[in-house]
Amino acid sequence: MSVSAWLELLASGLITGGIYALVALGLNLQYGLMRILNIAHGEFLMVGAYLTWMAQTTLGMSPLWMVPVSFAVMMALGVLIHWLTFRRLSATSPNLDIFEARGLMVSFGLMFLVQNFASWMWGGDLRGYDYLTDPVPLGAAQFAGNKLLVFALALLFSAALIFVLRHTLLGKGVRALMQSPTGAQLVGIDTQRLHPLMFGIGLGLSGVAGCLLSMAYTISPSMGEPYTVTALIVITLGGFGSMGGALAGGLLLGVIEALGMHFSNPSLKALLSYSVFIAVLLLRPRGLFAK
Amino acid sequence: MVQASKRSLLKGAAAAVGAAAFAPQLFAQAKPVRIGYAIARTGPWTGGAQISQEPNYLLWAEQVNAAGGLDVKGVRRPIELVSSDDRSDIETCVRSYEKLMGSDKVDLILPPWGSNANFAVAPLANRFGYPMLAPTALSRKLVEMKLPYFFLLLQQPDRMVGALVDMLVANGVKTLAVIYVDDLFGLENYAALKIALRSTNIQLVEEKSYPGDIKDLSPVLRAIKDKNPDAFIGLSYPPDTILASKQSKEIGFNPKFYYASVGTAFQLYKNVMTPAGAEGVLGMGSWNSKTSPAAKAYFDAHTKKFAGKEPDRWASGHCWAALEILQAAVAKAGLDRKAIRDYVAATTHKTIIGDIQFTASENTATPGTVGQWQNGEFEVVWPVKSATAKLNPNKPAWK
Repeated sequence: MSVSAWLELLASGLITGGIYALVALGLNLQYGLMRILNIAHGEFLMVGAYLTWMAQTTLGMSPLWMVPVSFAVMMALGVLIHWLTFRRLSATSPNLDIFEARGLMVSFGLMFLVQNFASWMWGGDLRGYDYLTDPVPLGAAQFAGNKLLVFALALLFSAALIFVLRHTLLGKGVRALMQSPTGAQLVGIDTQRLHPLMFGIGLGLSGVAGCLLSMAYTISPSMGEPYTVTALIVITLGGFGSMGGALAGGLLLGVIEALGMHFSNPSLKALLSYSVFIAVLLLRPRGLFAK
Repeated sequence: MVQASKRSLLKGAAAAVGAAAFAPQLFAQAKPVRIGYAIARTGPWTGGAQISQEPNYLLWAEQVNAAGGLDVKGVRRPIELVSSDDRSDIETCVRSYEKLMGSDKVDLILPPWGSNANFAVAPLANRFGYPMLAPTALSRKLVEMKLPYFFLLLQQPDRMVGALVDMLVANGVKTLAVIYVDDLFGLENYAALKIALRSTNIQLVEEKSYPGDIKDLSPVLRAIKDKNPDAFIGLSYPPDTILASKQSKEIGFNPKFYYASVGTAFQLYKNVMTPAGAEGVLGMGSWNSKTSPAAKAYFDAHTKKFAGKEPDRWASGHCWAALEILQAAVAKAGLDRKAIRDYVAATTHKTIIGDIQFTASENTATPGTVGQWQNGEFEVVWPVKSATAKLNPNKPAWK
């Protein structure tokens, strides 16, 4: 294999990995920071994708405009859902483990609700549209414009989240919450406001991911579940709550899959990703990048 | 955006209640013919089921009822559809049909969507003695089960792939790359392709399988592009048909013959790839509105009823043909299911997609066909005698 073919293969792996990372960010925020294992994460991604598709096909809006719109809509929805469900759960659960178990049940319920809502609202047909599919040459290789855009935005969002968490007061508060919820409360961090906000941002990010994915893939009400699974693998690889880890984990998974598919067979893709997953769980259970 | 079916169902129900209250004599003589089915309205099968199958059932029942009802040996009776969502789940599907035939005792059934569901329901229907005319099942194994009450409307893998290989040979193709989805559909078609290639000089330069939920085919497509084959065949389902096409465009892989399977004949394909981008792409298709005047009437009625949603140019036509056959059988044999079965098995049927005749379970009158996107329409281009347009043997670049 020539050098350029290698580069091309790695780049295509990185692009897919960027998408994985983007999908994982929101879930990481919810599970890593609040122990809400939001199984419905992929479903909210699907709603983001449908909103974008609808705006594109009926209003003729550019899908790019829908990036902030999906974020805002899904974030508002997230705050509302948190207020309706998880707020009550955290008030009534005696400890974090019970909260996590109950939260899991609630998010299962949300999964069915959201999926069926989408079926009712938009029907079960596959949908899609054409946006930025023209290839953009990059050195000797070429990639679809929409994929490059998704990759760039995935990097941007990860970088922004990492920055916010590391360098702002809000980020400090969130990290304090992660390390010790009680301690955080004792030093005056307002968990009543921080929790819904973070849950909302998590959902907003899944809306953005859905918006971007709808540019590159066909969408249907059942598209969400596989992304939830991928997101779980990625955040396990990267370490719960670590945004940098999620980004690196996503990129790594993308590259491993691309190489594996090229040298063996795409049918073995699941075997590859799960082998990596199991190996990490056995050898580095706190994530690849845990110190 | 809310699905129209629910609204029309409510309206229909309200109208029926109203009519029953004020004009009971309308219903007094004509007991409805109850026709049951379960089909995917949620879950992964929905995309196929709601394009190729259920819209046809609804349109058919509506048309027949508007014309005074189903002709049951000369007596007009309204059709009542008894339907439910199988949630793309085999268990639910089988149980629903068990209930329809065993306890609801509907008069007739219509089949579920897809090879897998038909595979599970066909033996059951056979046991209960319900004729089943399946428009979306593609598997030689279903033929080999030799079920007397089961009929397959689609051309089976050997015919479809055989026609494709004939076309490639006739156009001097020397090298070929194939990818196939690793389930019953992909494996059977791949096996049929290998057999069809045996008697030719076409060299297979790459063959790879992939899982149905694949998100990235570009590593495989890039490897194939490097080998520069004359023809590419994807034995694929709708999401991966579109994924492969988009990614081929992305990497600039543009062989002279580009073939993808299920989904190429969908309106969705043209919408997603744009008509100019779809130009020259080959796929599984066997009819369009030029095939016959009846096909045109069906196409127009479908598009009108479902607000611009077109039937696909493959299984939808076969589904409509199955309903035509069932309707003719009931007119002839009444609701005696054994007699319906015998009529279906022994007759050469005239349908919108041409003559259909069954040898055991298999439709052996419809030849294998190849379709191609040309100027925004999916044309039948092979074999020449079924063609609605001439084959373009040089796919233009992706746009």
